[in-house]
Amino acid sequence: MFRKTKKNASPLADILKAGNGEVTRDEILQYELLEGNGPKGAPKGDPIMQVRDLHVSFATEAGVCRAVRGVNFDLWRGRTLGIVGESGSGKSVTALSLIGLLDDNAKVTGSIKMNGVELVGKTDEEMSVIRGEHIAMVFQDPLSALTPMFTIGDQIAEGLITHHPDMSKQAVHDRCIELLDLVGIPQPEERLNSFPHQFSGGMRQRVMIAIAIANNPDVIIADEPTTALDVTIQAQILDVLAKAQKETGAAVVLITHDLGVVAGAADDILVMYAGRPVERASIDDIFAKPSMPYTMGLLGAVPKPHVAASQRLVPIQGNPPSLVDIPAGCPFSPRCPLATPECSQAEPNLEVVDATNGHLASCRRLNEIVSKNMKYTDVFPVPEMLPAKWAEVPRDQRPVTLEVEHLVKTFPLTGGGMFRRTIGRVSAVDDVTFKIRQGETLALVGESGSGKSTTLMEIMNLMKPEDGRIVVLGHDLATLKGRGDRKALRKDLQIIFQDPMSSLDPRMTVYDVLAEPLKVHKWDKEKINHRIGELMELVGLNPDYVDRFPTQFSGGQRQRISIARALATDPKVLLLDEPIASLDVSIQAGVINLLEDLQAKLKISYLFVAHDLAVIRQISDRVAVMYLGQVVELGETEDVFTHPRHPYTQALLSAIPVPDPVVERTRSRIILKGDLPSPAEHHPGCRFASRCPVKLTLSPAQQQMCDGQRPTLRGDDQNQSEFACHFPLAVTAESAF
Amino acid sequence: MLKFIAKRLANYVVMLFVAVSFTYFMASAFMHPRSVYESRTPRPPQDSIERTLDLANLNDRTPVLERYWNWLTAIVTRWDWGKSPTLESVNSAIAPRVLASTELVTLSTVLSIVLGVALGIYTAQRQYKWQDRMFMVTGTLFMVIPSAVLALLIVLMAIAVNDTVGFRMFYVTGLSSYTGDDIGLRLLDFLQHIILPTISLTLLGMVGYHLTQRTYLLDELHADYVRTARMKGLTRRQAVRRHALRASLIPTGVNVAFSIASVFTGAVITESIFAINGLGRYFITAINQSDINASVAIAAFGGVCTLTGALLADIFSAWLDPRIKMS
Repeated sequence: MFRKTKKNASPLADILKAGNGEVTRDEILQYELLEGNGPKGAPKGDPIMQVRDLHVSFATEAGVCRAVRGVNFDLWRGRTLGIVGESGSGKSVTALSLIGLLDDNAKVTGSIKMNGVELVGKTDEEMSVIRGEHIAMVFQDPLSALTPMFTIGDQIAEGLITHHPDMSKQAVHDRCIELLDLVGIPQPEERLNSFPHQFSGGMRQRVMIAIAIANNPDVIIADEPTTALDVTIQAQILDVLAKAQKETGAAVVLITHDLGVVAGAADDILVMYAGRPVERASIDDIFAKPSMPYTMGLLGAVPKPHVAASQRLVPIQGNPPSLVDIPAGCPFSPRCPLATPECSQAEPNLEVVDATNGHLASCRRLNEIVSKNMKYTDVFPVPEMLPAKWAEVPRDQRPVTLEVEHLVKTFPLTGGGMFRRTIGRVSAVDDVTFKIRQGETLALVGESGSGKSTTLMEIMNLMKPEDGRIVVLGHDLATLKGRGDRKALRKDLQIIFQDPMSSLDPRMTVYDVLAEPLKVHKWDKEKINHRIGELMELVGLNPDYVDRFPTQFSGGQRQRISIARALATDPKVLLLDEPIASLDVSIQAGVINLLEDLQAKLKISYLFVAHDLAVIRQISDRVAVMYLGQVVELGETEDVFTHPRHPYTQALLSAIPVPDPVVERTRSRIILKGDLPSPAEHHPGCRFASRCPVKLTLSPAQQQMCDGQRPTLRGDDQNQSEFACHFPLAVTAESAF
Repeated sequence: MLKFIAKRLANYVVMLFVAVSFTYFMASAFMHPRSVYESRTPRPPQDSIERTLDLANLNDRTPVLERYWNWLTAIVTRWDWGKSPTLESVNSAIAPRVLASTELVTLSTVLSIVLGVALGIYTAQRQYKWQDRMFMVTGTLFMVIPSAVLALLIVLMAIAVNDTVGFRMFYVTGLSSYTGDDIGLRLLDFLQHIILPTISLTLLGMVGYHLTQRTYLLDELHADYVRTARMKGLTRRQAVRRHALRASLIPTGVNVAFSIASVFTGAVITESIFAINGLGRYFITAINQSDINASVAIAAFGGVCTLTGALLADIFSAWLDPRIKMS
């Protein structure tokens, strides 16, 4: 369509277009051509892009940071290569070097050939001819990736005009509308004149994809395109990305740390660790037969949303090495349970695991792993579950530690002008009800803007709520008198925040951080010292480290310090606000296990706020699903995951990417239309009605009920769950997962 | 847009009125024009002091609200800003000084903004390269040199040049000395006078813009949207010019706008060294002589400058960033 009419302005683009088509025929390509265990079979034809022996290093103050050390791969049109790794594994740097957007101080060696044309060593001006026309990229954070001062239309048009200055205004306009339509933005004609801040995150990421595919590129790089988005929006964006690939026929490089995302979207996988590829195979092989211990560990550490939490997660000990000072030998050996002293002698290269399927892995003990057919449970010992002290007492007989009933919190909406009049109210929390008993974990799930954090803050405030009731350990907050009462209660109610970096004062030593809550409660020095030693042991940190500063610890260790601080006063209830969202997969598992152990030892109740449903299935006993400030479903975790009663819960569950390509391919997904409506709008009826897929199947009279009458939490005799829906889903023999 | 400007304007008029009235009361409370006469030797007769003060509407025996009312009605009805304790009209004293100040500062302000911002942009794109370091060193030098020292250095150099070439190429005092009618010669004469103070003010003024603009642009250079622009196929230079620069100019615009008032009244030292009768010197003299009306008038002029600047800054920001207009 569009591609036929365009003319290339520059000779370089002509070369690329015509392409001398010179394909490097080497051993690497030979194995890649065998990768057939995926939905698209083995790659056919010539690759569009070839990367050979790519090295990238940066000069930093600490020394030379070798971010990428010898990466090889080919890209074919219409295929998706997933690059998986934790932060610091070099995956983003690899991507940025393909498109020539690295910082000036980056030193790139090796070869990146696009259609036979070498890209390494090209100047910024030369690369700018190729960027946007032949290679495009979608970035992680859609909120900051668009220029706030320009309209969406201008920003899409810019990419078109830069490469095709002879396009007529009308043609540019039409193409912009076509693109917005393609990525699923309603009323594209009017939206062209909108500014980025008028769009939600998901919509902005759609615009970003529209910009990327504007010139029908040959290669699209997507760097964590859904990490910053909610799970239902993530499903939409992955859908749009697949559509964009179909439309342009481009090769896609999908970079992510989320194994669920690659399972559904990629054909081939490259696992990176410390700047090197450690395993590569087609998608099914990686998940079915991981052969490098790191890959095994990564797969074992991921909580699985589609199976009940029957066993504990397997954390990988230790932390990834610093790229400035990579140890000799295999960089994974310090964390590897299979490592022998020889492993730290020389770094292994990618070797053949399965020659017929092109499966490669780099491990010195690969032969052993393959011949013994080792699974991750053989490599990583599964930690024992600690017996819970209260397990014999049935749930009903355990005391209720935290009770919230019909909680409401609104914020005033002020107008402009001198006097900032209140012109409306935003209901951040509107009818939240749940109960937590001793030693129990309740997960509060919902998309951003659903009121999870506001609920936590209302509880932490220990003030009389605007409406409804909060009872903490038997004390109704409305009856608390004065600061003394609150302070006493606060000892039993502690909170852990999402980002351990910003929630720990960088100028305080760990000792001071841990001693602060105790000093507030007037402990004497000797008792404090003793308690701090105890706390450090409890969270698995060396007590000798108390005089260090938070910056000297890794992310996982910092979160352990946060946990220790929260536990200092021996609380009965712990509120956790996305405590593991900022941690890498291999570190996450350790923190989840720690939280489980602490609960078993200390009988604490957790109120666990998270958006990652897989983590929730792993850790929680009960789930409260929130939508626009209201709890729409409340029940036992297993009931909710297997037989959701509220249509929103069902949609939420179906949107989770499952880290298993076989399951992922056969699942049907309910993709919700649009975004979360603004909480400032007033909904007389069900808040979910505007996006509800079930409502569309109802009779007009029933639909009227949805629009006009607010449903409240109720149960029925089909299962134990409570739901706020007039027409709940029936419990069938079939499980939702 | 018009509605936006009108709204701001109405806000500013109210603000200005309150501020100027407040200044009037403050000045009346702290300044004692009576003492100007009472400390004279020989001391004038009491009646004559009272009469003069009454005529100037400065007599502290009249209730301050009454004086305020007289002062206000004179301004509103006759645009008369009152008299000095020596019964000179503030209006006729202030007008030529505003003119002199305008002549003095306009060129140097424009030059220091243009050169400073350009230098900031240039050095930001070459962060830590030798050009950046060199301009940073010279910038810091001009920042720490007292303006009197710099002005005197320039004067000395200009005299040296005059001596070398053998005729008076640069004038080191005043703003004009030509009295003929030839427009061309008059302009030349003006340039000969203005060039030295302009160099002195520009060098001092541009440092601030250079350093702040460099920081603002550096903040934006690494923004994600600049990377997006480059991804579309813009070169780094183009991406910076079209995307990063715009955002980085907003805080500079605000700085410029709010410095207008201090530019007019703050060039005291330069005015003194080049013997120019500008607003800065007038302001100092007025305060020294307990000249309430003149002080308030200058403060009001400063207020108008500031608010005009603020309005310009608002319009400028709204033009650069449409989000401001909308919220």
